[in-house]
Amino acid sequence: MSTLTRKLFRTIVNTRGQFLALIVIVALGVMIYVSMNIVYSNLAQAQQQFYEENRFADYTFLVVKAPESVVSRIEAVPGVIKATGRLQKDVTIFKDNEERAVGRLTGYPLPVKDELNNIHLLSGRSFDDIASEEIGIIADPQYAEANAIKPGKKIEILADSRKVDITVIGTAISPEFVYPMKDSSSLFPEPELFGILMMPQKQVQQILGMPGQINQVLLDLAPDADEALIKSQVGAILKPYGNIADYPRKNQSSHVVLQAQLDGIKLISTSLPLIFFLIAAGIQFVILSRLIRSQRMSIGVMKALGYNNRQIIWNYTSYALLVSLLGALAGNALGLGMASAMTVLFAQYFNLPPAAMGINLQVVVISFLISSLVAGASGLLASRSVLQINPAEAMRPQPPAIGRRTPVEDWAWLWNRLSSSWKMSLRSMFRNRTRFSVTILGVMSAVVLLMFTFLMSDATNHFFDQSFEQVNHYDYIVRFSEPIKESELLYWNGWDEVQRTEKMMEIPVKAIFSNQTVDDVIVGLEPSSQLKKVSDKYGEIHRIPEEGILINSVTADKMGLAVGDVVTVETVMGMGAVRTAQLKVMDRFEPMTGAISYVSLETANRLLGERQLVTAAMLKLDAPVMPSLEKRLKEMSRVGSVVSFSQERAVYEKLMGTVWVSIGVMLMFAVILGIAIIYNTSVMTLNERQREMASLRVLGYSKGEVAGLIRKETWLQAVIGIVLGLPSGKAVATAYLASATTEMYSLPAVIYPRSYLMVAIVAFIFVWLGQNLSIRKAGKLDMVEVLKNRE
Amino acid sequence: MPDNVLMRLKNVSKTYIMGEIKVEALKETSLEILAEEVLVILGPSGSGKSTLLNLVGGIDSSTTGEILYDEKVLTDGNDRVLTSFRRLDVGFIFQFYNLIPDLTCEENVALAAELVPEPLEVQDVLHDVGLHDRRDHFPSQLSGGEQQRVAIARAVVKRPRILLCDEPTGSLDYETGKMVLRLLVDIRNKYHSTVIIVTHNSAIGDMADRVVRMRSGEIVEIIENENPLPPERIEW
Ligand SMILES: Nc1ncnc2c1ncn2[C@@H]1O[C@H](COP(=O)(O)OP(=O)(O)O)[C@@H](O)[C@H]1O
Ligand SMILES: [Mg+2]
Repeated sequence: MSTLTRKLFRTIVNTRGQFLALIVIVALGVMIYVSMNIVYSNLAQAQQQFYEENRFADYTFLVVKAPESVVSRIEAVPGVIKATGRLQKDVTIFKDNEERAVGRLTGYPLPVKDELNNIHLLSGRSFDDIASEEIGIIADPQYAEANAIKPGKKIEILADSRKVDITVIGTAISPEFVYPMKDSSSLFPEPELFGILMMPQKQVQQILGMPGQINQVLLDLAPDADEALIKSQVGAILKPYGNIADYPRKNQSSHVVLQAQLDGIKLISTSLPLIFFLIAAGIQFVILSRLIRSQRMSIGVMKALGYNNRQIIWNYTSYALLVSLLGALAGNALGLGMASAMTVLFAQYFNLPPAAMGINLQVVVISFLISSLVAGASGLLASRSVLQINPAEAMRPQPPAIGRRTPVEDWAWLWNRLSSSWKMSLRSMFRNRTRFSVTILGVMSAVVLLMFTFLMSDATNHFFDQSFEQVNHYDYIVRFSEPIKESELLYWNGWDEVQRTEKMMEIPVKAIFSNQTVDDVIVGLEPSSQLKKVSDKYGEIHRIPEEGILINSVTADKMGLAVGDVVTVETVMGMGAVRTAQLKVMDRFEPMTGAISYVSLETANRLLGERQLVTAAMLKLDAPVMPSLEKRLKEMSRVGSVVSFSQERAVYEKLMGTVWVSIGVMLMFAVILGIAIIYNTSVMTLNERQREMASLRVLGYSKGEVAGLIRKETWLQAVIGIVLGLPSGKAVATAYLASATTEMYSLPAVIYPRSYLMVAIVAFIFVWLGQNLSIRKAGKLDMVEVLKNRE
Repeated sequence: MPDNVLMRLKNVSKTYIMGEIKVEALKETSLEILAEEVLVILGPSGSGKSTLLNLVGGIDSSTTGEILYDEKVLTDGNDRVLTSFRRLDVGFIFQFYNLIPDLTCEENVALAAELVPEPLEVQDVLHDVGLHDRRDHFPSQLSGGEQQRVAIARAVVKRPRILLCDEPTGSLDYETGKMVLRLLVDIRNKYHSTVIIVTHNSAIGDMADRVVRMRSGEIVEIIENENPLPPERIEW
């Protein structure tokens, strides 16, 4: 080993704490980079492959009812490679525990493999293996798991007003059900209450009493096909059969959620590591600059002995390169482990086939490249100063550091009030501007991360608060399988447990304005409703107009609809004939989730050309959960579903578990980053000021007072970083939320005042910890040793 | 014992252990330090002068023996006692001034003044050392002699009863060195403090009330000087 190398290792041993802290920062950056990128590439690849293998449709049309023969006509449209006609309908499932669930009964023309949106069998048998007289269904794995359904089990459904027993023969997934949701008003999958029931098309048609009929057409388009043109051509073919909706793949509800999740991972996989790398680079630069300054004499001697600049610069740069190498090694080890765990987790969260657990070698290589590049740059930049060291000069003792007046001194009233030790701290900070800025930026980033974390958690809490406390005040919501007369609800009020009932009407519609059509759901409520309020995402309550419509901004913005305009709405459901009405836009609100607009119950009835009908009822009871009443309700005819509000809430809260885990992980990262930064700054300050501290000790300052001096300096920088970090964090998180907003989901950037305090407290804790890791050194200070010689 | 004894060192020794090797920097030594005297400790480099001075000033701890100040024991390993001793009773002056680079002359002196209940006026002390008109300069803007005078002012402002000077003229030229010595004697005369000067320059011994000669970690002789010379009269 060359002497120069040995000197490098000795330097590393002497600065081992800082060396380690730097490795930790780099390792965290690399870990996040590697894990997130690998998770992304695994999932994106799984998605891609899954879509391709199971021929996920490029475009989907929904109609009321059409003969199967229409499919071949559509296939003849230029640009359409393949069309699949399907029959799909939601049916009621009677569960063993007397509860009901909604099953999305979906028909598959056989052989399945030749058609679009086909299925990937996970367990059990496929359709081809069952006897023709047997009625067999394949369920989605989440419904099967949530309801403990194994192949061979019989379930009972209500189809075409008849109860039918069917046998579960297996479980399977499909690209369109990666994230199965009942409708746009649900935010999470509710596997206990909603499942996909896959069945051969012929059997579906038979069960539903619709032989030879379909209500969906799936399209596979040529890569260069003109989507708009095909949409209008196919739309024209289907027009006689009652167009309900049509959407390209990018608007398919399951795809939207999966893609949003992937985009989020992508964004974090690049931006978060960047912060860590930049901070590591900044600290490395500062540490090396200081090292070179303090080893000025040795560098002079080395030069005098004949070592050239290149050798010396390489020696110092190696320090940074070693940090990055070790950091990248540790980061990759952690990151690869985390990646496979996370891939499994995501693949389960979504109904994806077990994802290819690839180790993306490219990501690993890039992680090493980036970290060495960052280290090399900061190392070279810092050791540039080696060039300016003149051997003859360097070997003479160095004159005292140059003290300077600081801008603070212009405020004499303040300056004169400061103690000498404050003056010392301020001047030293202004003298070491780079270090000062790096520390402030570092603390700022850690605080930004904290703020980000807290804002996410607040936004989530706000969401719950809004949906569960502000908006909904009922205990149960009962949906009917068909509209019923208002008067039928009257006798419910006679029940002892019922404090209040309110009526509700839910109507899926197409909103039409200036040649554009958008799917929307209209909910009719009594304007005086107490059990359900309409709140925008900021928590402001909007009144339901007696006449006209309160429109949601998602729908309004798609069509350029403003308050005062008149929108045409067309009913789509099988609720009698399709009817059209004109509604004046009275108000508009920004919803947190879903695209739901509100009208008065009376307006809703007029829309259907009916009077005093309801499709659902909300109940306020003596207690939030009343099983006996629930049972009574479920046994009533025409009751489709009975949902307890508090049970619904429990389901949501359970699902939010993963959110809390990721929030916890982020919090940990921020704290580790903060500790590492503070530790480094504090150690550097300590090293640099040993002589001053010894002088102060000789003068009679106590250990505590001297340590307090270093603390004060670090605190000053930390507090500035924290103060700047709070608003920056809010800005970053707000921007993130804005970019993560989708049509179905828009969290407002809400942060509770308490969270500012919490972030500040967490920041104070990491500053305190980082300092106490380093400040122990101050107690061991040997006055005689330090003051003996000049350098 | 004579009641003008300020400090008493009883069988004090200091041994440095460096791995296998032991260095006896100071062999068992006893010494009395008198109030208001100018004591010069002479000896070649490495003879243990600084070690002795550091023990007296409470910035180093002895291996054996006892040090008494005003009949208080300083050597029982209590950092609080030593800190308060240094704070209230000792002023240190080093060969390499050890000023705080980020503080001006005046602030360096004030830094010490803030430590004691009844310090001297910072401005007065700056006048005493002849640096009042340069009080706003930073150490890097001063010559060696000037920096040393700031260091003296910083030591003196606390009104210490003992002023400890380790090679105070070591890095100064002849004229400046003599000026600094003059200043030390003036301060003793004005503020009645004891002044101990460590030096390898035997000519400085002529200005002392007593001279302690050291060699190889031992005091070899103590000379009482009936007629100390004023610093400007000594030559080297
Ligand atoms: N920290 C130390 N470790 C080991 N030996 C030391 C240490 N400090 C001083 N010495 C040794 O003690 C002896 C006396 O040192 P010192 O008191 O500084 O001498 P002087 O001041 O007379 O030049 C010398 O031999 C020196 O090498
Ligand atoms: Mg010495």
